Amino acid sequence: MIQALVSSIVLIILAPFIGGLLCGIDRKLTARMQNRIGPPILQPFYDVLKLWGKQPMISSSLQPVLASSYFLFSVVALALLVFRQDLLLAIFTMALADVSLVLGSFSARSPYSYIGGRRELLQILSYEPILILTAVGFYLLIKSFVIENLFKAGITPIAYLPGFFLALLLVLPIEARKSPFDISASHHAHQEIVRGVFTEFSGFNLALIELGHWVKLIFFLSILALFFTPNLILGSFIAFIAFFASMLIDNIFARLTWKSMLKITWSVGLALILVNIALLLHLGV
Amino acid sequence: MGLIDKARIKSPWILHVNCGGCNGCDIEILACLTPRFDIERFGMLNIGNPKHADILLVTGPANRRNARMLKNLYEQTPDPKVVMAVGTCACTGGMFHNCPNVLGGIDKVIPVDVYVPGCAARPEAIIDGVVLALQKLAEKARGGRK
Amino acid sequence: MSAQPLATSLIVLPVILAIISAFSYNKALRYAVVYSTFILLTLISAWLLTYGPFTLTYPPSADLLVTILDFLLLFYFLYIGFIRKHVLVILLTLLQIAPLAYFEAIAHEIHVSPTIIVDYLSITMCLIICVIGSLICVYALSYMEEHEEHLHLKKTRQPRFFFYMILFLGAMNGVVLSNNVYWLYFFWEVTTLCCYQLIRHDETEQAEKNALLALWMGLIGGVAFVVAMFVGLLELNTLAIFDILRAHPSIFSALFLALLSLAAFTKSAQVPFHSWLLGAMIAPTPVSALLHSSTMVKAGVYLILRIAPGLRLLTPLSYAVASVGALSFLTTSILAISQRESKRILAYSTIGNLGLIILCAGINTPLTLLAAMLLLVFHAMSKGLLFLGAGIVENRVLTRNIEDWEGLLMKYPLTTTIMLIGMAMMFLPPFGMLLGKWLAIEAVASSPISAAISFVIILVIGGAATTLFWSKWMAHMLCHPPTLKQLKVEKLPIPYIVSTFSITALDIIFSALAAIIVAALALPALKPWYSIGLSLPLLNILLSVGSFVTWPLMAALALVLIIAWAIAKSKKGIVAPPYLCGEHIEQDPYSFTTTADKPIRFDVANIFFDKSLGEPRLNKIITAIGVLLLILVFSAVV
Repeated sequence: MIQALVSSIVLIILAPFIGGLLCGIDRKLTARMQNRIGPPILQPFYDVLKLWGKQPMISSSLQPVLASSYFLFSVVALALLVFRQDLLLAIFTMALADVSLVLGSFSARSPYSYIGGRRELLQILSYEPILILTAVGFYLLIKSFVIENLFKAGITPIAYLPGFFLALLLVLPIEARKSPFDISASHHAHQEIVRGVFTEFSGFNLALIELGHWVKLIFFLSILALFFTPNLILGSFIAFIAFFASMLIDNIFARLTWKSMLKITWSVGLALILVNIALLLHLGV
Repeated sequence: MGLIDKARIKSPWILHVNCGGCNGCDIEILACLTPRFDIERFGMLNIGNPKHADILLVTGPANRRNARMLKNLYEQTPDPKVVMAVGTCACTGGMFHNCPNVLGGIDKVIPVDVYVPGCAARPEAIIDGVVLALQKLAEKARGGRK
Repeated sequence: MSAQPLATSLIVLPVILAIISAFSYNKALRYAVVYSTFILLTLISAWLLTYGPFTLTYPPSADLLVTILDFLLLFYFLYIGFIRKHVLVILLTLLQIAPLAYFEAIAHEIHVSPTIIVDYLSITMCLIICVIGSLICVYALSYMEEHEEHLHLKKTRQPRFFFYMILFLGAMNGVVLSNNVYWLYFFWEVTTLCCYQLIRHDETEQAEKNALLALWMGLIGGVAFVVAMFVGLLELNTLAIFDILRAHPSIFSALFLALLSLAAFTKSAQVPFHSWLLGAMIAPTPVSALLHSSTMVKAGVYLILRIAPGLRLLTPLSYAVASVGALSFLTTSILAISQRESKRILAYSTIGNLGLIILCAGINTPLTLLAAMLLLVFHAMSKGLLFLGAGIVENRVLTRNIEDWEGLLMKYPLTTTIMLIGMAMMFLPPFGMLLGKWLAIEAVASSPISAAISFVIILVIGGAATTLFWSKWMAHMLCHPPTLKQLKVEKLPIPYIVSTFSITALDIIFSALAAIIVAALALPALKPWYSIGLSLPLLNILLSVGSFVTWPLMAALALVLIIAWAIAKSKKGIVAPPYLCGEHIEQDPYSFTTTADKPIRFDVANIFFDKSLGEPRLNKIITAIGVLLLILVFSAVV
């Protein structure tokens, strides 16, 4: 009992670090794919530390609170997941973090920031339904929304819920801010809307947002890993592979418009899920 | 704090400002991003936003129209920061230096830390300049605290 | 206090107070009456809560009084129809008067006993009506003063206003206490009267038009009630609702319940009857808060919740009712995205949430009914608060266009914070509305209905739409240029502070301790009819299918905000203008320098999806589908 508590807390504390490492490896591999050397793997940590040491510059008095909220609410949502609570509740709690970011980006009266915020809302509109339906998919399988019961049930979800898994893979690029769906905050020097959602954040605010992004990434990958219970090692491995697959797609594809993003995620994503549900009902699960 | 100072040198983000030059130096700067020179291996990113930048890479001469813009961008960049004048036009005005609207090099508008002459400045020279700029950045950060 | 004074005072005391306020041209008297209403009604409803359920039978003289008053009311409606030359009103009133006269001729042996049945559903509704309703009346004291100042009225119309507002509270209490369907119908019509008079309060042409729209749609409900009474009298031999609920299901009980459902749909402005609620937004904001979000429209969902136990064995009818709710929830949530007027967004959101409650009630499992009750309670609080806040804003910025509400946080920090808290309470965890929505998704997913998944998808899509329009509205109110001068908190009149702060406090406390609402109100209300597998470990909510840690999440929210504030305070930042490619202007944060060194203003605009998701495009289709679903409801009777 104590051991479970300690290991959960360790996991929550490690999450930003693992997320940062993933982003670092991502940049390194991207560089190698482009025939470059690329930054060191620990680069994201240097970035965050440097940002923390910058002179604080604020475009809106609410930004610090909202940037911190983005990071801290992500941690709360991850904690709900790690402590094996209700999956649907964890997903709704993550929405608190998302809304904080949107509020922060709208609060600075800047065209780039505002447009980024609007696009961020559309991104949320794209992936949130699929996340919620994933929780419903788990329910259909184990008749409970609580993750603890997923471990008790002894079923491996991926065998029954491949459609849901594929739909999640479809929205992973949105979560990881990668092409073709990185429309609100172009990472890594793309400059369509300057830095979109992140334009007006700087210094320690941006550092907090980076940390929040890493935690959100781990949250999403954890849900992917849950498809492979009880073998979580395999699940994590597959989740990392999925992340790098989205990185590969990032390097191949160009960014799409928000209309295409909505159309693709809602049509293909929902179709995958509905087909899966139909199969589940047919098999009498 | 040693860790943050180390991080500052390892993660310099660039704001590339063109003050109205011929674009020759701009292309050389962008060439630095290509696989041949790859400045991202030093952690450098071409961030288009002054609020996120550490190093201002300025090309082109300062003139009456863009003086205000350059000053605004300089002020919007948080400390610690360094300014690099890339190319002869940015250093002294170059071949435009006697034109009626040209004020001269960008040091007429904002304080410059590193001058990289050349027309156009070669990527190797730009990288040398950035390394110098990073040392200056570390000094500024330390000096700012004394 | 024994049962009879308790029940009678809940209905009659507001009538007396209303009559006093009809003569309260003196401001001090008016304040005294309204504050007394608040205090007395709160005390009585609290007493009711501690007293618990009971039944009460009034003597036949009370039945006679109700009959006389009802006919007077119907003739008054007829009179309105004639002087406004409105054919539908005349027609629908005659369709009630004539049958009712015949009804009186043949029905004088029927005496319904008990007249009044109070169970925990009634108690919950009474608490909402008495506490939230009277708080809104307190709010109206300041609002109507400011409102009449803006209109430059020479003679105040507030006495008439408060007469109908407080009378309405008594009528609503009557609706939720009645077992006799005739009494329920009578009180229902009184609420329609109050609705009509309050919508047309400002006496402009548009107000009169919209009031008549509300009137005839409400009268459709009245006609439905009359037909239901005939069914009850002739086929079921009773006018007691509880007897019909307990009776063996038959085609006639199904017809009775379907007719009551139709009345509920008209009162709750479900699609296809949604247009009257949108038109009602022209009324002064306290009217919108009281009638059209917290209370009167709740009469409709109250009725659906009341008859839900009777619909258990009538599954096709029950699911047809659920579909009507589902359609309303989905379509109005989407329509709210394209709206620019603050009260229209709130109106669409209200219709959507009522649809959600009806959806849950129609699916008719113990968990969905629990979800419906939680949504009922929390929506009354949150939406009431939002309308109160919207009214305060409107009286200050004199516009309802939310695009003009940009940066309101800097101009009116206190009011905007109230609005922001209200909006956050509508869709963010750990607040009660999200608890209800979470429970609705889990309950619908775990219901035995074979179409459960399609209802879940409707819930998810509607939920996504609500997240979109609340977030974008919240965010736009925060959008301001970066002047970091000290925020000046504006002074609000006491009635505003009392009403908004009380409702906010109640909502936050009961969101964190939702287990109390579940244990004290919801579970006892459902226990006589349903068995629920639910436990409340450490005051959190644990179902067989899911768990919701209410107060830990609320504590986490508080902790996050404290830490965030501490981080913000520790890093004192300098002000930086927004990035405009270096062309920002220090003195004028709304402009940038363009060619020829000229400053030009820039605007930031929100997303509305006018063309694809706007009313012109969607309204006709939605109304058509709504009518089809109504036909479905009645065909499910057979």
